Order: sequence, then structure tokens, then C-alpha cells
Amino acid sequence: MWRTRLHLLHMLTGILIAVLLGTHVVIQHLDAILGFFGIDATEPTAWQSMIARASQGIWAGLYIALLAFVLYHALYGLRGVILEVTPSAKTERIITWSFIIIGIIAFIWGAYVPVALLSS
Amino acid sequence: MKQIQPRQNYLGAGGWVWAGNYKLERYLYLLHRVTGLGILLFGLIHLTMTTFFRIQGQDVWEATMTLLHNPWFKVGEYLVAVAFVYHALNGLRLILQELGFVLGKPTPPIYPYKDALRKKRPWTMAMVAVIVILALVFLFDFTIGGW
Amino acid sequence: MTEGSPKQVTFKVQRYDPEQDNSPHLQEFAVPSSRGMTVLDGLLYIKENLDSTLAFRTSCRMAICGSCGMLINNYPHLACHTQIEEFNSNTLTIKPLPNQPIIKDLVADLVPMFNVHKSIKPYIIREDAGEVQNPTAEFSQLPQELDAFLQFTYCIKCGICVSACPTSASDKLFLGPQAMAQCYRYCADSRDDGQRERFSVVGTDHGVWRCHLAAACSEACPKGLDPALAIQLLKRRLASQALGLGKKQSPSPVVSPPTETKPKVPFPEFTVKGSQ
Repeated sequence: MWRTRLHLLHMLTGILIAVLLGTHVVIQHLDAILGFFGIDATEPTAWQSMIARASQGIWAGLYIALLAFVLYHALYGLRGVILEVTPSAKTERIITWSFIIIGIIAFIWGAYVPVALLSS
Repeated sequence: MKQIQPRQNYLGAGGWVWAGNYKLERYLYLLHRVTGLGILLFGLIHLTMTTFFRIQGQDVWEATMTLLHNPWFKVGEYLVAVAFVYHALNGLRLILQELGFVLGKPTPPIYPYKDALRKKRPWTMAMVAVIVILALVFLFDFTIGGW
Repeated sequence: MTEGSPKQVTFKVQRYDPEQDNSPHLQEFAVPSSRGMTVLDGLLYIKENLDSTLAFRTSCRMAICGSCGMLINNYPHLACHTQIEEFNSNTLTIKPLPNQPIIKDLVADLVPMFNVHKSIKPYIIREDAGEVQNPTAEFSQLPQELDAFLQFTYCIKCGICVSACPTSASDKLFLGPQAMAQCYRYCADSRDDGQRERFSVVGTDHGVWRCHLAAACSEACPKGLDPALAIQLLKRRLASQALGLGKKQSPSPVVSPPTETKPKVPFPEFTVKGSQ
């Protein structure tokens, strides 16, 4: 049953990513169109606006949440693709455990940066 | 008499790409897989940039941004954005269909057979149309809206 | 009825003799084909007139036994159920079904598929096993309950869906659409109570969750079974159980014996004199 729950979590993170990453992509890219709607989002990649976002707790929180969801969704999906070329059972165990470890390390490192910038 | 082993006849991972003259949903599956792997690769680079390069201060950040405003990188960025739009919308369709919400009930097979996904194909085509429209919107913003 | 003069169609058939060949190769035959001829008729013509060493399976020639599944012009068909004319081409390429081992020529080994089918327990499982073995009366089942799984009972085990599935192409441990659709057929049967047992076979790393809804299986199925729908409904059942949703339904009870006896009908008169 836990495999079913893992897959349902994959679906749930998919929906959450669609929302969070959707806002992220829209804010980062569609400046001209957001300008039509009256939202001022000029030059989101410039240093000033990036630092302005990084000092707000809500953005840091959203980025950390997005990172967690993306890491789970991507690593579970990649594990599924690798499992479909039928490695041996031992290889499957190695792949699963190494993805878990990679995911945890990447999350700790990726979450450290917004928190560090928040307090600076 | 020597026992002869049957010959293995798997298509292998090439069978994901081409196994015959199949229809739309099989290629949507293939594109979902390709976009997923593409976004994963982009995500690795993006994660490195927003952690290593961001924490090193303004000069490194602005140097990186100037590099990334190169047109070739912008084309790649557009492709990743479109890949994300496709993967998200197709993924939402897959979630609804995999949990059996929109597929309807089993019906007795009467020739010519129409399977459940074929009956829902108008909705799938509508999803593809939305993806194309969003891709054009992004194209507008990437080109005319200014780098 | 005029059939038109027969025209020559080239059959490129994959040959492979395990005792002699290292690898399969295509051999060409010229077959006179006329309107109404099926690919199976063409293969039988080859076997009777051109090369009697050609090996293929055939039995009912009416798409009910599931023997003659083959890859014809890059798409899996039942050879008895496919007209030569429907391809609108003078060349037909015939190969055995992919994703199954080849024994010889066009004969694929379906035993691995049957073994997977057995592993999902394709029989009614109930607590009162004694009733199943030695029935006293029939199990009650409403027509609506039958309709919930009737479509999936028409499986002829031809193996075409497994050949069409992209996951089956690379994953040797994948259960395949045939087994999983039949698993749903038994789980959805109101007489059955073995859902939990089957879930431990189907909810694994190479089970239901490696299906990604390419729906090639339903497209290729020659009996209109829609295995893709069965698999998604099976996923829905697994998800409901994982989340703890859904009512627990007890399996169909045995029909109670009739309470009224029908009135006795008098024995009719003999109509032929002298026969009693």
C-alpha cells in the first residue's frame, strides 16, 4: 500500500507544483503581460528585485516549499523511468536509496540559501 | 533433443518512441516523459545558479544574468517554459484520467469499438489547444515583450 | 458476386529458424489476393503452395481464439480478422508480436503472459470457499453489477495489448495490460472478495503505477475490451483503499431458495400413438 501512497504523493506534488511553479514562471517571464494587468513586475531578474523578494519571509517559504515538492516529484519520476528498463533487484534498491540521499542533501542545501539571504 | 530457448523480442526503450502506427495519446505520453526529463536537467542547472551564484553576492549574480541574456539561452529558456506548460497541463489531464474521474463507465463492446480515451478525445484536443495558445503567449512575451 | 481478378501482393514475412538462423530475416512471397481475403488466407496460401516450412498459429479463423496475433505493417492485428485490402498497399510486412519471445517464424511464446495472468489470481476468491467448490445455489448479481465489469470479460488472451504497451517494451517485470485488466475484472465482480490479495500483486513497483496512459493497448485490442479503462479503474480502487475512502462492500450472497413452489403442470398427452 505504501507504493500507492508514494504515487498519490507524486500526483499531489504535481498539482502543487503546477500552481507554485506556474506563478514563479509567470512572474519571472511574463513581465509585459503582467504590466497590462497593472502588476508591476519589472526586471524580476535584476539584483534589486531579487533581493527585495529574498528579504520577505513569504517568498522564502514558497521557494523552500517549491523546492521540496520539485525534488520529490522529479526524483520519484526519474526513479520510475529507470525502473522501467528493469535493472536487477539490487540495482533497484541502490537507485532508490541513492535518490533518497540525493534528495535530502539537495533539499538541505537548497533551503539553506533562502534562509541565509532572509536574515542577511 | 536439445531444448531450444525462445528468442527474446523486446523492443527495449526504443519501444517508448516508436512501436507502430499508434494515435495521439501514445505520443502525448512520450512527450510527457521527454519534457519531464528536460525540466529535470534544467532544474539541476537552475538550482545551482540560484544557490551557488546567488549567495556569492551582487557581482557574480549580475555577471550570470548578463550571460543568460544571450539569445541562445533565451531560446532554451523558452523551450523549458513551454515544456513546463505542456508537462503541467498534460499532467493534470493524467491525474484526472488515471484516477478514473473523467473516463466514464465500462460499456459493452459493439463494433466499431471506441475505447474510453477515444471518446474523451475532444477534451484532450482542447487541452492541446490551450497548450498551443499558452506557448504563443510566452513567445510573444519572450520576443516582443523584451528580453 | 464478382471478386475482381486477383492481384499480386508481396508478403514480407519474418523467418527465424532457431536451429539454423542466428537472427531473423525477411522473406518475400508473391500471393494472389482478391477481395475478401484475410491475411491469414494469404499465409495459408503460402504454407500450402509456396513454402510449407512457414510456422504460424491459427485455429478459429474468426477472432475468438486469440491464436493469430501478428505485427502486420507495424501494427498488431489478428491475422484472421484483417483484410489484405484494408492496407491499400501491394506490400505487407508480417512479423511476430513484439515483447513476447519468438519460438519460430511468426510463433510467439505466450506462456510468460499466461504465467503473469495466473499470478494475479484470475478466479473468484471468497471467504466461504466451500460454497465456491461445492455450490448449493447461484450467487445473486444484478444486471447493473454485471455491467460494471462485463466489457472486460471478453479477453481472448491474444497478447496484442502487451505488444502495444510502451512500458512492456522495456520493462520485463511489468505485469502488462492483459493481466491488470483481468485483475480489475475480478476485483469489480460483485461475487468476489479477493481485492486485498490481488492488490499485493498489482500495487508493486512493476505493477499498476508504471502504466502511464499511453492507451495503445485499448487502441489495438481486437475485441474492444479497453484494458486502459480497466487499469485506470483499478488505480482508482488502489487509491481509495490507500486513502481509506470508499465503503466496504460484502460480496454477493447466495440466492435464497424459492419460498413458493410453482403449481404442478399436468403431464401432456402423448401425441404419437404407441410410443409409451
